[in-house]
Amino acid sequence: MAQASLKAKHTQSDVTWKTRLQEWWFRNRALIGFAFIFPWFAGFIIFDLLPFVYNLYLSFTDYQIGTRGVPPWIGFENYIEIFTDDKLFGKSMYNTVYYLGFSVPLRLIFAFLIALILNLRVRGMELYRTLFYVPSVVPLVAATVIFAGFLNTRYGFLNQFLVLIGATPVRWLSSPDAIKPSLILLSLWGFGGQMIIFLAGLQSIPDDLYEAAAIDGGTGWHRLIYITVPLMTPTIFFNLLLGLIGGFQIFEQVFILLDTNGGPLQAGLVYMLHVYNKAFRDFEFGYSAALSVILFLIIFVLTLMLVYTSNRWVFYGDAQDDET
Amino acid sequence: MKVSRLIGLAIAVMMLLSLGLAPTLAQDCDGEVIELEFMNWWGAAREALMDTLIGHFQEENPCIRIINQVQPWDNRAELLATAAASSNPPGIIMSTRPETYHFAISGLIIPIDSFVEAHGTDLSVFYDGEIGLQYWNGELYGLPMPTAGGLTSLYIYNKDMLRDAGFDPEAPPKTWQELEEMSAAITVADPMGVDVMGTQVIGITGGDAAFVSWLYTNNGRYASDDGRTLLFNSPEGIETLEWMVNFTNNINGGVENVADFFQDTAFAQGDHPWYEDKLAFLRINTSFYGHYNVNDPEGYADTSHWGTMLRPYNGDNPNATHAGTTGYNYSGAWAYTIPAVHPPEKQEAAFKFAEFIGVHPLGGCAFLFAQSRPSPVKACNENPAYYEVNPTWSVVLEGLATDVAVSITPVQGQLAEILANAVEEALFGVKSPADALNDAHEEMQALLDEFWAEFDADNM
Repeated sequence: MAQASLKAKHTQSDVTWKTRLQEWWFRNRALIGFAFIFPWFAGFIIFDLLPFVYNLYLSFTDYQIGTRGVPPWIGFENYIEIFTDDKLFGKSMYNTVYYLGFSVPLRLIFAFLIALILNLRVRGMELYRTLFYVPSVVPLVAATVIFAGFLNTRYGFLNQFLVLIGATPVRWLSSPDAIKPSLILLSLWGFGGQMIIFLAGLQSIPDDLYEAAAIDGGTGWHRLIYITVPLMTPTIFFNLLLGLIGGFQIFEQVFILLDTNGGPLQAGLVYMLHVYNKAFRDFEFGYSAALSVILFLIIFVLTLMLVYTSNRWVFYGDAQDDET
Repeated sequence: MKVSRLIGLAIAVMMLLSLGLAPTLAQDCDGEVIELEFMNWWGAAREALMDTLIGHFQEENPCIRIINQVQPWDNRAELLATAAASSNPPGIIMSTRPETYHFAISGLIIPIDSFVEAHGTDLSVFYDGEIGLQYWNGELYGLPMPTAGGLTSLYIYNKDMLRDAGFDPEAPPKTWQELEEMSAAITVADPMGVDVMGTQVIGITGGDAAFVSWLYTNNGRYASDDGRTLLFNSPEGIETLEWMVNFTNNINGGVENVADFFQDTAFAQGDHPWYEDKLAFLRINTSFYGHYNVNDPEGYADTSHWGTMLRPYNGDNPNATHAGTTGYNYSGAWAYTIPAVHPPEKQEAAFKFAEFIGVHPLGGCAFLFAQSRPSPVKACNENPAYYEVNPTWSVVLEGLATDVAVSITPVQGQLAEILANAVEEALFGVKSPADALNDAHEEMQALLDEFWAEFDADNM
């Protein structure tokens, strides 16, 4: 009896304690939420925002290696020089835009098609999905080194294959005309990340839409064009944005494959390589900061344009109807 | 229990061992031990040799502890720039001539003249051309090691391939014309490009350095002695580039064949066409002997199979002769520089180490001998044992004697990029050699004038 009473008392005390904790938790839920996101927020401020602001400041200075104290303020001189006197600004921007113009759409299409295939209900699909994703797990440096072997003119797999089928071998990394296509080819290697996002998007499309289309006599093609693609536009938009931002920042692959000069006739001198050379070869950090600010502005404006135009082609379901 | 005892015992042994190793130094040192981080690029097989050198130094200087920080070659520029510019740079930095100049002009490193005077360091032990490269604006910033010379003046050649092609294996080509003749006879093309190559006269990376090297074998010059006027687009320069383009097109089958032939190969790694008897003449720097010996000791020992020759010169130019260049190559003319931010006692320690590397018999002298490569210190190269470790030593010394110092400035990186593009434009047929060089000259001279104008204004 005494034991039962004690147990009841304990239980009551537990309940009171739990209730109080829950109440405290509920009252301070906003604070707790902020506490959880604080590490990310602190990291963002320390490692992203502050360097960005400092970089912006440096772009208006003549900051060179060894500058002690406050670097000399030169206003827009770096920017004026970039637009009036820097031949490699135009060249590197052209190379980057060329690369982007082909690699981003090709990678999107490739990742989307593979995701469509991997969305089929086939036995052992989990294994196939893993296999297709594995290349994306390989570090970029390792993947690039592997690709250097693939692209070797004399002994590379690609040219050996071309010779086998009677085609003319391509000088992937030694001909100025083939450099950019080689980089575009390499960019397809890491399609796995986009593929996974597409796959997640595909799996969120309700089956009843396809069933309704089937009842109405829609073919596979109709289902793809009138159901899958429209409902996937938010995912396509997201992947497009990521692809563009990442594409503008292409660096490691080129650095490893072509060295800092960007290969023959600088056909592979991409924008970030130019930024790198100005900073670490010429030690002109202020100028290099200005180059990177310009790249940021280009990406920022492009992103804004994409977001602004997205309501014309991105389908967000019935959200607007619901609001009205 | 037994396991924990074993672990305890192991920890105790490790502690005893570590006490026995590190504090050999502390025991012998009367005062405070100065730690000196040594940022360098003596990787691969050289790391152990550098450790030996450091060991000898520490025996003589027990109060200085050198921390050997061998750096990876990749991202070298980033590593060096960020380390040198940081508020806590390494105690001593291995840098190339353009980098040394950059750091000097930025005030990141200190001139060492006062240390040289205080220590009574005899600079006359160095070849003039070697020590001379380490001065900027009249002040000395480092002591050299290895040589800046021997980077462009020497070739190794395959005697068997010469013999098979009907040439005298003991008479390697002396002139451009002989080189052309022999290369043409040796080169074997295949559907993928070139299977066996006589030689190539262009650089695999950076066409400017190859052009400048050949320029001097045609009695041309890159720049005036004061470094203020560029001279490479002289008639000799244009003739040189025309010859390089013609050689590449007619004998190698084009610039792309050359790039493809050497793609993904490295002499130091042992996967170079040289080791497969597919290349007859190879331009080397003196580090190649050590790499050759490591990668193919039997081949290296067999001197009936290979020899060393001097870079051929233009036989049609009566004023031309064998020549090499020092101080032009971006990766050449290494020195050991001392950051300005360190306290005087650390800088003093750094100088002692730099001096040991530079002039001590157990320093750079022994270090380079172990690699069969020459020293910037004249007396070191007179060691008769060199003839045993490098069977072609007499030619190496001859090559060093032909080297000519090239004047450069801290903007050399930018100038070299423009010149490299000009050479490529000529090689790819985008421009004629004359137009490519003249256009590059105009752009480069403007950049150089701008640099000197700023420099003169700052030093008025």
